[in-house]
Amino acid sequence: MSETADIVIVGGGAGGLAFAWAVADPRLKVVILERGDYVDQRRAPTLDAGWELAQQTRFNANPNIRAGSADHPVDDSGSPIKPAFFNAVGGSTVRWGAHFPRFRPSDFRPRTLDGVGNDWPLDYRELEPWYDLNDRMMGVAGLSGDPGNPPRRRRPCPPLPLCPATEKLAAGFDKLGWHWWPSDAAILTTGRAGRAPCNNCGPCGLGCPRYARASADIAYAGQARAKGVDIRTGATVTGIELSPPGNRVEALSYIDRDGGLNRVACAEAVIAGNGLGTARLLLDQRKIQHTLLGRGLMLHPTAIVTGVFDEPLASYRGAFAAALVSQEFYETDTARGFKRGFQMQVLRGQGPLTTAQGGYGTALPWGKQHAAAFTRSFGRTLSLTVTCDDLPERDNRIEIDANRTDRWGMPIPKMIYRLGKNTKSMLRFGIDRATEALTAAGADKINVTELSRAAGFHLMGTARMAEDERLGVTNRDGRVHGISNLTLADSSLFASAAPVNPTPTLQAIALRAGRAMRDRLGLAGAEPS
Amino acid sequence: MSDGSLLEVLLNTLVPGDGADWPAAGSHGLAKKTREMAGLQPDGVKALDALLAMLPAGFEGQSQDEREHVLARIEGDAPEIFGAVLSATYTAYYTDPRIRDVIERLCGYENRPPQPLGYELPPFDESLLDQVKARGPIWRVVPET
Ligand SMILES: Cc1cc2nc3c(=O)[nH]c(=O)nc-3n(C[C@H](O)[C@H](O)[C@H](O)COP(=O)(O)OP(=O)(O)OC[C@H]3O[C@@H](n4cnc5c(N)ncnc54)[C@H](O)[C@@H]3O)c2cc1C
Ligand code: SF4
Repeated sequence: MSETADIVIVGGGAGGLAFAWAVADPRLKVVILERGDYVDQRRAPTLDAGWELAQQTRFNANPNIRAGSADHPVDDSGSPIKPAFFNAVGGSTVRWGAHFPRFRPSDFRPRTLDGVGNDWPLDYRELEPWYDLNDRMMGVAGLSGDPGNPPRRRRPCPPLPLCPATEKLAAGFDKLGWHWWPSDAAILTTGRAGRAPCNNCGPCGLGCPRYARASADIAYAGQARAKGVDIRTGATVTGIELSPPGNRVEALSYIDRDGGLNRVACAEAVIAGNGLGTARLLLDQRKIQHTLLGRGLMLHPTAIVTGVFDEPLASYRGAFAAALVSQEFYETDTARGFKRGFQMQVLRGQGPLTTAQGGYGTALPWGKQHAAAFTRSFGRTLSLTVTCDDLPERDNRIEIDANRTDRWGMPIPKMIYRLGKNTKSMLRFGIDRATEALTAAGADKINVTELSRAAGFHLMGTARMAEDERLGVTNRDGRVHGISNLTLADSSLFASAAPVNPTPTLQAIALRAGRAMRDRLGLAGAEPS
Repeated sequence: MSDGSLLEVLLNTLVPGDGADWPAAGSHGLAKKTREMAGLQPDGVKALDALLAMLPAGFEGQSQDEREHVLARIEGDAPEIFGAVLSATYTAYYTDPRIRDVIERLCGYENRPPQPLGYELPPFDESLLDQVKARGPIWRVVPET
């Protein structure tokens, strides 16, 4: 089949859907090509007794283990951190924890301030209205007034509750005189049309049947469709056609769910396949020769420190990844022996099976000690992540394997990543601080996972933005240098990683880029307010 | 001895219970389910069969301590195989409704899925932040470019 559209967007995830909503207009034919399907969160596995099994199988965050009908293999043998993403309408936010922090102003200037990484061609003030707009679209719980961040507007709804375990931790931070604040979370604590408030069930990563947790499908897909966006599922983009002399995208081709090859000619092409998927598609097509394409992969290496308390705390109650955060060690202090910093994000306790299997670390002991170890751990643990800022090292990259193809005939992507010296020092320091905090909170046993192998869920920087085309693949609007009508709108654009979860920032960039495209097309649109 | 009863002994060694509240996994009739759970992991059934094949003759007649000793050695020699079997065993055990009843009785965790009921938690108490607020801003101000 062959057709023509004004704008074709590859990927209906966090960035692609925000972009589509921002650019949509009744005068435009906007098509999203998404390889995955809709996930019916109203029937989330948390409604069934076997919910913990779903986490290990069809909702496993690792595509190599999940191996669903929309998934392709990833060669991760060159990385100690394994890939974690989801292919569906809503993208990886279908599977996410909804922790929703913003970058600080200093995160956009690491080169100028600290002599490492890359400065962005954007700054916090410029992105702030887009962060605000995205907060309203997603629905964010939180509390303004955080001394760790610039003042921000009143959050759309009040913060999520603490629980007995997180209250202990807050008291521990106070004892040490360290910063903590209730997390901004893309989770509703008050209802809105079609979405009920959170009832603290816990495992947000399996989807939220109340639609309290915003994923991009819940927050954006319906509104984008209402503006006329055509979201096509089961559509895997495999080809980019450039018109001679190669400075303009003519058409994209995709394989539909019946195996048919389709072509969509377009005036504007947008790729939002995440830091791995976007780089993979562009590298395969060899249409962009930029030396930085695929390079500078950043993953936020993460340690997880778990405190075990000697009393029952029902620590499985409440959104698992969104309670409170400490940004005490966020900015550079060279006396610590590394540049940049980290956040400590609370992860609550888990269900019985996940507890036995070790949660974020190693499995509970088997044999005669097992029953006592289970009783001693279940409902009594609380973890802190040490989420490290990551520097864009050239050799950390996405590559493609020309010798192995997936069932759509595309080369398998390879994830190649090594921890840098700066990161290793930061992890060491951070583990000690998280241990201190949990001990101050009263934990009497500490388990340390020095590097979470499963935590490859922040895939950033593989097509970074810079106004100087030698220093970046795209400009500040995500427009690929040297190609007049190709835009990227996802976390591949990140010039630096910051020590925080990336989604609010990538969605703010996508909204801004969508609006910039409207302006270029001469379509009026009010500024965000 | 049949594969089924050898598997039962293996499960009883991995999760022997405590003789009071917690039953042993094998005697609790979880052999078949453990095999099914192994099938959910890539190469899980292969791992289970490989581990069973590694058990020495007479394993089932040994004491718990002796069997644990044997398994500790296998765990050291073939950690991936052992890990896959342990994971399947825990999966079968902790998704069993009768075990969930024990958890409810001993730990207060109701034997029901997280939804639709969720859990009650009191609203966030802003007064907890008094000390953090008193310290004032800690973010780095960046000069305008
Ligand atoms: C377990 C887990 C927990 C997480 N928790 C958090 C959190 O608490 N906070 C936070 O900020 N972030 C979190 N993240 C990360 C967050 O989900 C991502 O940062 C975000 O979704 C990335 O947005 P994106 O648009 O770049 O890519 P995605 O959301 O991954 O979307 C990309 C989409 O493109 C599609 N696609 C790719 N290639 C093609 C192709 N060739 N043809 C058609 N379609 C294609 C994919 O199917 C996918 O739907 C988490 C992620 C995971 C996996
Ligand atoms: S904890 Fe809240 S947001 Fe998360 S899945 Fe449960 S109800 Fe939804």
